[in-house]
Amino acid sequence: MTVSDPRTDVPKGARPEEQITTDPSKPAQRMRSGSLVLTLAPWVIASVVLAILPMVFTNNSALTIMNQMSITIVFALAYNMLLGQGGMLSFGHAVYAGVGGFACMHIMNMSDFFSTIPLVILPVFGGLFGMGLAMIVGAFSTRNAGTVFAMISLGVGELIAACSVIIVAFFGGEEGVSGDRTYAQPFFGVEFLQQIEVYYLTAGWVVVSAALMYLWSRTPVGRMANAVRDNPERAEFLGYSSRWVRFYSFVASGFFAGVSGGLFAINYEILTEENLNTASSGIILLVTFLGGVGFFFGPIIGAIAFTLLQTVLSLSTELWAFYAGILFLSTVMFFPGGLAGLLMMHVPVFKLGKASTLIMPYLKTLLPAAIGLMGLAALVEMTFHYRHGATGDNEMTVFWTTFDSHTLMPWLVAGAITLIGLGIAKVTAPALKEAWSEATTAGGAS
Amino acid sequence: MSTPALELTGLKKSFGKAEIIRGIDLSIGKAERHAVIGPNGAGKSTLFNLITARFAPSAGTVKLHGEDLAGLEPFQINRKGLSRSFQITNIFPAMTVFENVRCALLWSQGYKYSFWNLVNRSRELTEGADRILDQINLLERRNLPAGTLSYAEQRALEIGITIAGGADVIMLDEPTAGMSNTETDYITDLILKVTAGKTLIMVEHDMSVVFGLADRISVLVYGEIIATGKPEEVRADARVQEAYLGAALEAEH
Repeated sequence: MTVSDPRTDVPKGARPEEQITTDPSKPAQRMRSGSLVLTLAPWVIASVVLAILPMVFTNNSALTIMNQMSITIVFALAYNMLLGQGGMLSFGHAVYAGVGGFACMHIMNMSDFFSTIPLVILPVFGGLFGMGLAMIVGAFSTRNAGTVFAMISLGVGELIAACSVIIVAFFGGEEGVSGDRTYAQPFFGVEFLQQIEVYYLTAGWVVVSAALMYLWSRTPVGRMANAVRDNPERAEFLGYSSRWVRFYSFVASGFFAGVSGGLFAINYEILTEENLNTASSGIILLVTFLGGVGFFFGPIIGAIAFTLLQTVLSLSTELWAFYAGILFLSTVMFFPGGLAGLLMMHVPVFKLGKASTLIMPYLKTLLPAAIGLMGLAALVEMTFHYRHGATGDNEMTVFWTTFDSHTLMPWLVAGAITLIGLGIAKVTAPALKEAWSEATTAGGAS
Repeated sequence: MSTPALELTGLKKSFGKAEIIRGIDLSIGKAERHAVIGPNGAGKSTLFNLITARFAPSAGTVKLHGEDLAGLEPFQINRKGLSRSFQITNIFPAMTVFENVRCALLWSQGYKYSFWNLVNRSRELTEGADRILDQINLLERRNLPAGTLSYAEQRALEIGITIAGGADVIMLDEPTAGMSNTETDYITDLILKVTAGKTLIMVEHDMSVVFGLADRISVLVYGEIIATGKPEEVRADARVQEAYLGAALEAEH
C-alpha cells in the first residue's frame, strides 16, 4: 500500500467485491504447498534424537538427567501456554503438576485398578486431575490477566502447598506418597523395571505432549489466546470473551502440567510437598523465561539448559543456584527474548548469507569474555571456600587446578584473568557491534 | 419505515455528579452513513462506549435492529452484528497483519473456542483474510508485525479488523484523527469502499470528511444532540453554527 497514491475514483456505493482479483502468486497460495515437510521436519528430527540419545549416553545417571529434562520440557511448555501465549504470569503453576502427580501416585497404590491399566497411559490421569483443578481455579482466576491473575495464582499456590501438610490422606504429609510403577499391567511385555524403559516412555510423552501443545497454538482458541494477550479489549470487539479464552488456555495448560506430574510420579515413584510448593512454581517460571517465552520451542531450550545447570553444575559447585540466578537476571535484563530469542536473532543473518562474517568478531569478544567470567567464577568460589571451607582444609580445585586458597598467588592469577578477559572483551565489543549491524543489513559489504 | 439499525432512547451517562450524556434520542436507519460531530468534550466517544457496552448507561436504552442491548457484554453485542474501531489505534501489535485480520474472522466463520480445528488448514479463513487485506490495500504488508506499520496503515488495518467479521453496523471513532490531507483522503475512500451497503456511524472532527461521507449528521454539544439532519440542513442550522460549526468553517476559509 502506498498512502501517497490514494484511489480517489471509487464511486460511492461501489461493491467491494469488484476490486478483488485472484492472483495465483499470492503469498497465501505459495506458502501452503510444500510447507508440510518444513513443519514436520523438526518433529521427526527431535524424535530421532530422543530415540538415539540413550545409545550415546548409556550410563544410568545420564538417563536420570534426560528423564528430568523431559519432564521439565513438558511442564515448561505447559507453563508457556499461559505466560508466552496467553500473557498470564502464574506464580503457582507447580500445584497443577503436583496434584496430577499425587493423583498418579494414588492410582499406583490402588493395586486392583492399577494392575488393569498399562503404565503408559497413567500420565493421562495426571493430566485429567491437573485439568480438573485448573477448571476450578480458572473459573475465578482468569477473569483478569495481569496483577490480579498473578496474585490469585500465588495465593492458590500457597494455599494448596499449605494443604499438603494438613490433608495428609492425599498429600502424605512430610514423607509424601510413594508407590511402585511395576504393578501396572505390562505393556507389550515391558514392565518398566529398568530406567531405559522409563526413558522411552517419558520421551514418547514429550513428543506427544509437545506436538499437541503446538497444534493447540494453531487452533482458533490458541490464536485468540495471542490476541487476548496483546489486546483483550479489541478481542472482545471481535466476538470473543477474553475471560473464556483465558480460561480455555488455563485449563489446557493445567492438563499438560498434570501430565508432567504423572511423568514425575512414574520416574521417581514418590511425590512430596516439594513438587507443588512455591519454589517449584518459581523454578518453572525461571526455566520458561530463560528459554524464551516468545517462541514455541523456547521452553524446551530452557528446560534443557536449566536441567544441565541443575544437575551437571551442582556436581561441581555448591553455588550452582547462585550462577543460575545470575543467568536468569542477565536474561531478564539483557536478553528478554531468552535463549530462543538469541538464536532466532540470527535467522536474518543466515538468510542474508552473512553468518560467516560474524564468526571472527564473536570469537574475539566471546572467548575473552568467557575466560574473564571463568576468572570471576574462580574468585567467587575462592571467596566461598575461604569463608566456609573446613578448618585446615585449604586445598581447593577450580577449573581443574588445585591450589591453596589461603595464599595470595591464586587470587592474583584469578583477578588478572578476570580483568584481562573482560578487558579484551570490552575493547573488541564495538567491532562485534559493527559486524552485527553490517550482517543484519542487506546489501554488499562496504 | 422498517426497524432502524440502531435506536437510542433517553440515553444518559453520569460519572459521579458530572453528567456527560444528557438524554440522547437518535434513530439511524439501515445502510445510512451517520456522522456524529461536536466540539471536544461533547461526549462523542462516551456515546460510542455506551452503545458498545464499554460503559453501562445510567439511563435509557440502546436497540440494535430493534433488540435491546441492556446487560450484554461487548463480545455479545459484537456477535449481534455491531463492530467498532477505537479513537486510539487498537490492533494486535505483536501479531502479523494477516493474523490480525484472521482473528477478526474466526468468530463470524463459526470457529468459536474450538481446539479441534487448525486455522492454517482453513481455506476460507486464509482467503477471507487475504480478501480483506486486498480491500484495505495491505496485502503486501501481510507478514509484517502489525506494530511496524505506519500510522495510516495501522488505521486502515483497524478498519479492516472492524469490518472483517461481517458486521452490518460499523462504528468508527475518529478514523482520520492525526492524519495528513492525503492520508485523510485515502482513508475516506477506504471507508466508502468497505462500508458499502452497511450502516456506518462515525465520530469525526474533519469537516470535509464528514460532509463528504455522511448521509445525515448529528451535532453533539455538552451531551445533547442539538441538531440532526442532512449535511446541508445541519450546515444551515443557526444553533449549530453558533455552537460549533461557525468557528470550524471560518477557520477553513
